[in-house]
Amino acid sequence: MRPDDAREAGRLMATPANTAIVIGAGPNGLAAATRLSQAGKKVLVVERAAAVGGLSARHEFHPGYAVAGILHDEALLPRAVAEKLGLPRHGLKFRRAPATYLAEASGPGLLLSSDTAAAVEAIGRRSAHDAKSYAAMRAFLDRITPLFASILSEPPPAISPGSAGDLWQIAKRGLSLFRIDRKDLLELARVAPMCVADYLNERFETPLLVEALAAPAVASTWSGPWSAGTMTNFLLRECAGGEAIEGGPPALIAALLAAARGAGAEIRTDTEVARIRLENGHVAGVTLASGETIDAKVVLSSADPKRTMLTLLAPGTLPLKIEEEFINLRARGTAAKVHLALSGPLELQGSEGLHDEAIRIGGGHVDDLERAFDAIKYRQFSEKPNLEIRVPTVADPSLAPTGHHTVSILASFAPYNLEGGWTDSAREKFGDAVIAVLEQHAPTVRSRIVAREVLSPADLETHFALTGGQLHHGEIALDQLLMMRPAPSAPRSKTTVPGLYLGGAGSHPGGGVRMTAGVLAAEAVLGG
Amino acid sequence: MSANRYDAIVVGAGHNGLICAAYLAKAGRKVLVLERRHQVGGATTSEEIYPGFTYTCCSYVVSLLRPWIIRDLELPKYGYEILPLESTFTPFPDGRYLMRDSDPERTRRSIAKFSPKDAEVYKRFGQEMAELGRLIKPLIDDPAPDPLSRDPRELLRLGRLGKQLRGQGDEWLYANVKMMTMSAVDFLSERFECEELIAPMAISGIIGTFLGIRSPGTAYVLLHHYMGEIDGSFRAWGLPKGGTGAIANAIAASARALGVEIRTEAPVAHLLMNGNQATGVVLENGDEIHAKAVVSGLDPHRTFLKLVGEEHLDPEILQQVKRFKMRGSSGKVNLALDGLPDLACLPGPGPQLTGGITIAPSIDYLERGYDEAKYGAFSRKPFMDILIPSLTDPTVAPPGKHTMSIFVQYAPYHLKEGAADWPNQREAFGDAVIDTLSEYMPNLKERILHRQVLSPWDLEQIYGLTEGNIFHGELSLEQLAFLRPMAGWSRYKTPVDNLWMCASGTHPGGGIMGAPGALCARTMLGKRAV
Repeated sequence: MRPDDAREAGRLMATPANTAIVIGAGPNGLAAATRLSQAGKKVLVVERAAAVGGLSARHEFHPGYAVAGILHDEALLPRAVAEKLGLPRHGLKFRRAPATYLAEASGPGLLLSSDTAAAVEAIGRRSAHDAKSYAAMRAFLDRITPLFASILSEPPPAISPGSAGDLWQIAKRGLSLFRIDRKDLLELARVAPMCVADYLNERFETPLLVEALAAPAVASTWSGPWSAGTMTNFLLRECAGGEAIEGGPPALIAALLAAARGAGAEIRTDTEVARIRLENGHVAGVTLASGETIDAKVVLSSADPKRTMLTLLAPGTLPLKIEEEFINLRARGTAAKVHLALSGPLELQGSEGLHDEAIRIGGGHVDDLERAFDAIKYRQFSEKPNLEIRVPTVADPSLAPTGHHTVSILASFAPYNLEGGWTDSAREKFGDAVIAVLEQHAPTVRSRIVAREVLSPADLETHFALTGGQLHHGEIALDQLLMMRPAPSAPRSKTTVPGLYLGGAGSHPGGGVRMTAGVLAAEAVLGG
Repeated sequence: MSANRYDAIVVGAGHNGLICAAYLAKAGRKVLVLERRHQVGGATTSEEIYPGFTYTCCSYVVSLLRPWIIRDLELPKYGYEILPLESTFTPFPDGRYLMRDSDPERTRRSIAKFSPKDAEVYKRFGQEMAELGRLIKPLIDDPAPDPLSRDPRELLRLGRLGKQLRGQGDEWLYANVKMMTMSAVDFLSERFECEELIAPMAISGIIGTFLGIRSPGTAYVLLHHYMGEIDGSFRAWGLPKGGTGAIANAIAASARALGVEIRTEAPVAHLLMNGNQATGVVLENGDEIHAKAVVSGLDPHRTFLKLVGEEHLDPEILQQVKRFKMRGSSGKVNLALDGLPDLACLPGPGPQLTGGITIAPSIDYLERGYDEAKYGAFSRKPFMDILIPSLTDPTVAPPGKHTMSIFVQYAPYHLKEGAADWPNQREAFGDAVIDTLSEYMPNLKERILHRQVLSPWDLEQIYGLTEGNIFHGELSLEQLAFLRPMAGWSRYKTPVDNLWMCASGTHPGGGIMGAPGALCARTMLGKRAV
């Protein structure tokens, strides 16, 4: 039978034997569905929200005003995976990532381009030393990128090789390892466990630059720039794609939806899974919140691992030891989203243009970022939060009325377990703290605010079924990466429950607008 | 100008330098040890700072001194004796207390007052740590494995190690990976529920580091402290009889008996260099002494920046040296007491005063202390690890009187105002310590006859510990094993020909272990460097 015929036949008589249910229609769920469908499997995607997209969906927070995703940064998106799924054919277009403007309290700030030469020139205007250092750092990162590309796109090697396949994985990794210069390897071994503050202070004398480069390595984690191991996250981010797409994350969702449907996948929204059913210890299907049951021998969940294993599976299903692994998985949200509807542009004093699409605002020194982190250790939010800002209307004016703008702010740090809880008053206070910081750099912003939305980690949990409000499903931490992610018993998409796969941000390689975890899980399904 | 020629000169008579010298002499080499101070020991020292009282100035307990070194150098013959420390007492501000000692049933009852569940888990925890420690212990007694090596012999060794590891089973491997990367609090919180137990246990993860108990990487240090043993009794810590200096004196006596020459009050100014080769040393008085090899018992900064000098170093090596982090974070307060103070929660003499006393009442308390240090201030309410050595070893104080040793964190070397401001802040630091301790021992102040306050600045000035770091360099993940003190130079050899390093700034790191000294000697002999 030709593949098309097989699919056609499958659609007419969808038997549980070759049906896979994918839970969640975010980038991972849709990518898994696409991959599975393209390989001939019958796929049903069930999405609890009214629309697909998860954290990458267009989010209208006030009538007429939207932001392009709760996750607003596509820098981790792997072009290779997008191409493998045929997304360019379905409308996906890559573009150069916007430059990031590093705002400065009383100074011109710094425009950090994604183009190294341009960035070096901009830095050079402040410090010749730092310009040289930045060029050297980027060159080092470029040289080790092939190793990281491999790590980020493949299943992690097993810690205890039991099969020939695993040994080959390790050997391949080893080969890839040795293609890199020994000096670079030593440097990599030295820096990977470091704290990002030490690494950056070794290289740069401009405090603004140190703080700005450190911030993405700690956002959404339960760590500050002085925490050991943050360099690993720095490397995992800096050695990823670094590109952007036209239309932002919602455009990825649109392309995935088209590709998935084009390959025969069925997607149902407003469809919440209440239970993953087992029969004789093997996956048998799902029960929806409505009571409807659907049979399937494969369930691939892109929901967070704690939710999947501890809530969707009936209590008592898992052996105590495995259950403990997922209970111990740390998934504490540490960032809040703040969305602003503005009646005009976001004007930053000091910026050379009124049209900065990406902006970073910190205290100006890496210790300010650390102080912001300190707060959550005592169950408080930062009084001077660090802000990662996108103005999506610069690239896509349709997100707001003509001449108006929306601002998407990832504000760190805001703990899930705030002392006293995330009451309305707490939410307002945090929102005010964010505006106060923003106002120092954009004095006209307050008068332009038409509406604002504050989504604390508790809100993210409620609205997006995100345990702990943790945007990566499981904290990015040294002991929760690679084969430890999400737990030792489930390192390569498979769980100890036959037929149950984990393919969301909580699996390797982590969250962000990425797709890889979903694809790896799909491939695990296909690999049998 | 001296016509003497030695096979090896060891700079610094700390415990590692002395051990290295002893092993070289044991192999028939002619060795000279040069010590700046008036006595040997370095930080392994005790001194009569106040008449009649022997202060344990720096290191105050021992357990990791390698048993094979004790045997090889016959240290008990030269006065080495360890008196076991039986207990750890943790008082809380509300009058409750936790007592953990060598009696498992008594310990269980004490913990059960806070959490019966934790009391049961605690029993198994010691065994779990012993199991995990099985991997680490052998690594201490050998040079660090080098996973990036292309040397076939090293690859063979790594292969064998890998096989050993895989043979342990996945679960054990995963547990070790977690151990290496988690924070002490996270690691302990997976097993225990009550803070009154977690906080005092977690402090083992931060001693001598510039980390907090919530910092990743501290679970590993916790394990390190769990690996102590005395007379084969695992995880026991003890008090050196006669004060910590007795350990150094025993090693020195053994070394002398083996033919080592030790000169005190002989400070070395710098190395004698011939191109990239070290050919001996120059003393501060101008004397030149030649040797086939020079061994530095000093920390990496002092070794390369003072002994060698920047001008003799390759720029990349110099950069790596400067990047080796040495930020001291601890201080010491040593007291001479007119009598025993009372613990408010359990007045009177008793086991609560005889063992270790830990001031670590909660996770937030310890973390706030760390936060202060991060930004350049000493902790106003510090963590303290306290001993009254005279209760176990009456030789260190007059009858009825006592010495008290207080190890304090955090006291950052790099104050906001600059390290040189420590002399101005020293007394305030001492006051913060005594004031805080007085909350638990209300009559302490009236017992104090004398106090010695050692800030990290003082540790640097007096004992030659750069930035007051007690381990000759932070024990953070990127400064351990094959990365200690620099990637590619972890086997005691240095980039300077004929110069070797034998102290805590090399593998396996700090604490009174002696392993760096012995492994350096073994390596030098193996490579026929001397």
